[in-house]
Amino acid sequence: MPHPDAHSLRIDAHVHVFARASAEFPRETSDWLPPDREEPVEKLLKEMEAHRIDRAVLVQIGGTSLEHHAYLLHCLKTYPRRFLGIGLIPPDIPSAADHMDRLTDGTGVIGFRLSSLGGPRDPLDRIDIRTFRTYPIWKRAAERDCVLWLYPRAGEAHLVPFLLEAFPQVRVVFNHLFICPGKGKFSIDAKGRPRVDTPVPPMTRYATMRLNQYENVTGHLSGHYAFSKEPWPYRDLAGWHSQLLRAFGANRLMWATDFPWIAEDPGYGPLTRLLDELLPDLTDRERADIMGSTAQRFLRFPSQS
Amino acid sequence: MTRPTEAQRTQWKEEGYLVLEDAIVGDELCRLQAAFDRCAAEAKSGWLERVEAGVQSAMFFDIPNPLEKDEVFVDLVDHPSWYGFLMDFSGDDLIFLAPQVRTVPPSPVSYVGWHPDVPHTTPLHMKVQIYLNDVGPGEGGFAYVPGSHRKGTGPFPAVRRIDSMPGHKVFTGRAGTAILFNSYGMHTAVDNRTPVPRKSIILIYEKWSRERYNSQRFTAIAPLCATRARRKLFGLEV
Repeated sequence: MPHPDAHSLRIDAHVHVFARASAEFPRETSDWLPPDREEPVEKLLKEMEAHRIDRAVLVQIGGTSLEHHAYLLHCLKTYPRRFLGIGLIPPDIPSAADHMDRLTDGTGVIGFRLSSLGGPRDPLDRIDIRTFRTYPIWKRAAERDCVLWLYPRAGEAHLVPFLLEAFPQVRVVFNHLFICPGKGKFSIDAKGRPRVDTPVPPMTRYATMRLNQYENVTGHLSGHYAFSKEPWPYRDLAGWHSQLLRAFGANRLMWATDFPWIAEDPGYGPLTRLLDELLPDLTDRERADIMGSTAQRFLRFPSQS
Repeated sequence: MTRPTEAQRTQWKEEGYLVLEDAIVGDELCRLQAAFDRCAAEAKSGWLERVEAGVQSAMFFDIPNPLEKDEVFVDLVDHPSWYGFLMDFSGDDLIFLAPQVRTVPPSPVSYVGWHPDVPHTTPLHMKVQIYLNDVGPGEGGFAYVPGSHRKGTGPFPAVRRIDSMPGHKVFTGRAGTAILFNSYGMHTAVDNRTPVPRKSIILIYEKWSRERYNSQRFTAIAPLCATRARRKLFGLEV
């Protein structure tokens, strides 16, 4: 019987690439995204080819305006068979729908990342999703069949079930192990990459684990470097991986590296072996699902041929 | 001390639960509800800060150290409506482990799936859940799979929707209803699709064992434990 992995696409379901800040590729700058730094798509492709990764999802970084998406759109146009894209939406934009339409119009951008939902922070408040700041985004995502890439903060995790209940047709991908970072828990580590101080399993699991009942919800196995209190292979996260697998199943989980933050430590290659380290008892079928089949099906990547 | 009837003993043994309607009524219930609301109001801002920080869940709100905040919570632990039942089921050898004075916000998904609390290797583990507000269908009530506490039952399916669990029973009830259950059994809270938070108090007990005995656990309320029975119940003495 052929190895399931042999015929399946291997997909890195969450990476970032960016150019130096320039007139051609304008972007916001910060201490961790200085203007001279670049992580070009060609560097990513080299890693992917070296480790037999066929496709990837490029996630916008460096600003939310249309202009800030220039490098992402350039990469999607240059390598249309290798990548799909996830954009960002300015928080105070008057017409999110217009922004979404323009970015998804034949560009390869399939959805948008949200780190805020704009609803009430008090879980005991009466919840009316029509009052959420992001309600127009969810509505447009439903109309345009866009994917929403969720990385909500801990104070908003309880709002997600209400949105999923209202929008069962919107495909949702929870980022980075379904962890919803707490306020004041972000920092930049000595290697210049995001660091999140969080208990694992996270307390937000009470809001996220039972989202497994919604078939339109999947999630990433990624971001380990930011949450683990141990070096590679991040064994302190193994138990949480097992819980996610039990709750969601391999056909609802996607492997991702969060390149470029892992390029030096632990390196792209080791992360392609992550499942061997943290979920060693997977069947071949489950391994193939997490390494690419789930992303191919859920995000609708074109097939190999 | 009210002891269970033979019929109640049989139901406890066979099904793993008992429902005591009107276990708390009248002025006593009003006083309990008022203490709950006052303590919850005092603790709420701290809870919200911890939710924002990601160190506490938004899906349930437990008043911290409730026994130290109002004597009415202490008096629940050996309340005459159920204390005799628990003593009977434990062979008159009972220890109290913890209270959960809990508000569960409305949500289309419950905060917890079907689960037992402990394996059968643990001494008999029992809980009493007291509703502080009326709980109707679809309002976040307690649910249990009758008989699932018995050794050798299961395995139970890992259902994704709570109402998909075969053979389960959801317990509606008026404020003041108490549900006693054997926590070897599969239980959960169902979704609460109303705008009204569900308020309840969960009291956790076990058959007394040396492993669970901890003379420091409830020292803060030692002055309220004047009788030998209470001091044993709260683990203040062997």
